[in-house]
Amino acid sequence: MATSKPMPLATKISAPFWQALEQNELHIQQCNQCAGWVFFPRNHCTHCLAHDLEFKPVNGEGTLYSYTLTRIPTMPEFSDEMPQALAVVELSQGVRINTTLIDVAESDIKIGMAVKPVFDKVSTDGKTLLRFTSADNAGGVREYLDPLLNLERNAKGQVKVPVDNLSALYALADNTFTPWSNEFVVDQALINDFAELSGDDYWLHTDVERAKTDSPFKTTIAHGSLVQVLQSRLTIALPFEIVGFQTMVNYGSNRLRFPAPVPSGSTIHGRSKVKDISVSHKGVQLTLEMNIHVVGNDKPSVINDLVILYR
Amino acid sequence: MGLRGNAAIVGAAQYKPEKYQTAPQMFHLEQVADLAHKALVDAGLHKSDLDGLVINGPHFHEASVFVPAMAAEYLGIEVNFAEVVDLGGCTAVAQVWRAAMAIEMGLCQAVLCVIPARMAPLGPTEDPAWMAQAMRFGGHSTAFGAPEAEFDLPYGHMGQNTGYAMIAQRYAAQYGYDKSAMAKIAVDQRFNAQYHKDAIFNGKSLSIEDVLASKLVADPLHVLEIVMPVAGGAAVIVASKELAARAKKRPAFVTGFGERLSFKSPSYAKEMTVTPVAEAAKRAFAMSGLTPKDIHAAQIYDCYTITVLLSLEDAGFVPKGEGQRFIKEHNLTFKGDFPLNTHGGQLSFGQSAAAGGYSQVIEAFDQISHSAQERQLKSCDNMFVSGTGGVMSEQGALILQGG
Repeated sequence: MATSKPMPLATKISAPFWQALEQNELHIQQCNQCAGWVFFPRNHCTHCLAHDLEFKPVNGEGTLYSYTLTRIPTMPEFSDEMPQALAVVELSQGVRINTTLIDVAESDIKIGMAVKPVFDKVSTDGKTLLRFTSADNAGGVREYLDPLLNLERNAKGQVKVPVDNLSALYALADNTFTPWSNEFVVDQALINDFAELSGDDYWLHTDVERAKTDSPFKTTIAHGSLVQVLQSRLTIALPFEIVGFQTMVNYGSNRLRFPAPVPSGSTIHGRSKVKDISVSHKGVQLTLEMNIHVVGNDKPSVINDLVILYR
Repeated sequence: MGLRGNAAIVGAAQYKPEKYQTAPQMFHLEQVADLAHKALVDAGLHKSDLDGLVINGPHFHEASVFVPAMAAEYLGIEVNFAEVVDLGGCTAVAQVWRAAMAIEMGLCQAVLCVIPARMAPLGPTEDPAWMAQAMRFGGHSTAFGAPEAEFDLPYGHMGQNTGYAMIAQRYAAQYGYDKSAMAKIAVDQRFNAQYHKDAIFNGKSLSIEDVLASKLVADPLHVLEIVMPVAGGAAVIVASKELAARAKKRPAFVTGFGERLSFKSPSYAKEMTVTPVAEAAKRAFAMSGLTPKDIHAAQIYDCYTITVLLSLEDAGFVPKGEGQRFIKEHNLTFKGDFPLNTHGGQLSFGQSAAAGGYSQVIEAFDQISHSAQERQLKSCDNMFVSGTGGVMSEQGALILQGG
């Protein structure tokens, strides 16, 4: 995934349509009873109501039925495509499809013009949207273009993502973790210091002798909030740097969980991933999921969805 | 076929359109009761006369199901006829004819038709952003299995603006497009709004140049050709001829109606520029025995200027393709030779969600009942009212006549 744009969720009924698009083919339904063509996919024929439709390959040639150019994005997520040429295409089979017209100059767009399909790969895993272009153009497949690919890098090798480059921002939310950070030892002295500082001196954290018998972990454990703040001791190599903003604000956390304990003396490390990018009048909100683990434990000790606001 | 004209609008109430941020917040049930009371006072009727209820279903704050029962209980009435209408901007017109039909069928004698459209106060667990969230996808469903979620939204096809824009573009390709004629619709209506103190744009004049210089939203639509959403709410009382005789004001008899729903997305229309109001108006005129020439004012649903153009043509006021010429050749103000949206239309009065359609219904009633003050037409017996929901998806027509 490399987009926060709404993506189609295929149903049992429509799946063959989307699967064909991924194979760079356009399949639409025809009724075996009355020969009528149907779009969008259904289980019944809109001409005769028979439940006898069959997906058939078509060449996708058609004409532009109508269009508009969006001067204000219909949703903020489409800001990077402005102006969009939202279009209705009528295939030679007579059915109409909502789509966008691409690679045609504004002044060359004419209702009635001949168009052909473009199989637009919109994600790394091959998700394909059906767009159209002028019949004079090549059409065919538009390969996925990683919006991060051609951006500059800083001295650390991080890709520099301008805060107003929405498609690049969205591409950051790719659900992959950074490599692990450096390691850090959480010893009893540190836990004791934190107990004194915070006032939380509960025996489970501080009483080494009692913990040997009464603790379910047979030892003292670090405070969850201690491990949470120790993220500052962990250097995480984010693959990107957001640039071009006026202010960056730590907006707090959307979720903070301590699923696994950190026994005294444990070595921890962390990693993170961009969980979400959202754009609103407040600015660009980046949600960074920070996970801290005891080294060797698959279950995180801290999950913290940090929200950072850029504007 | 159809009505005999034995039911009439006898009273109305309408909140002054206001910006959402500054409008009073009231529970929808509270608005229903308040509007009912005001409309009954306007009619000179009493709560005990009410025996029917037609209400909006979607976006009702305090319930998503069993809305009529909750509202009737809240009002303290029992009814013989309870109906929910879910037709977007066509809901007002659709409520009125359903009420008239129920009365003529002998089911009831006085029906409250109501749409609350002020914000409700939010509870401690309600998200203040719910409305923005609810509006985010316009009229588009995002539910799994909804065709528009699957085949429209991923491409950016969303909301009303671009749908209406595509209809206008197709019209332009078929018949030509005169930007200044389209702007004149908004300008003439704005003139009317200067004579309606409740209109949101009362006191703000508008020129064709202003419209054409305003921001393009989606070609060819400028922002001043698009309605402004406002908080509001409206109700009318539809009553039998017998009750109408007791009413304070001159009743507006419902002598014709039509309704047509043709599609959800205009992309799937048989022909995008032939709108459902064509069928609805044909039926309404046939039922009433009137023709477009007999109409003293056309109160045409006007979410966009293009809606007005197509409605004028498809309802039979002007032949297809000649609407723009007609608009330029006629003065569309209440002082002119073709009075159109004499309250300013929703473009200048404000669009209070689905209650916006009532601005047209109530203006027709105000004209017929001689309540239109400075806007009062001399000839005011025969009114045409249209309603439009979705993207020209569902449309209705009413013929209202003074008795």
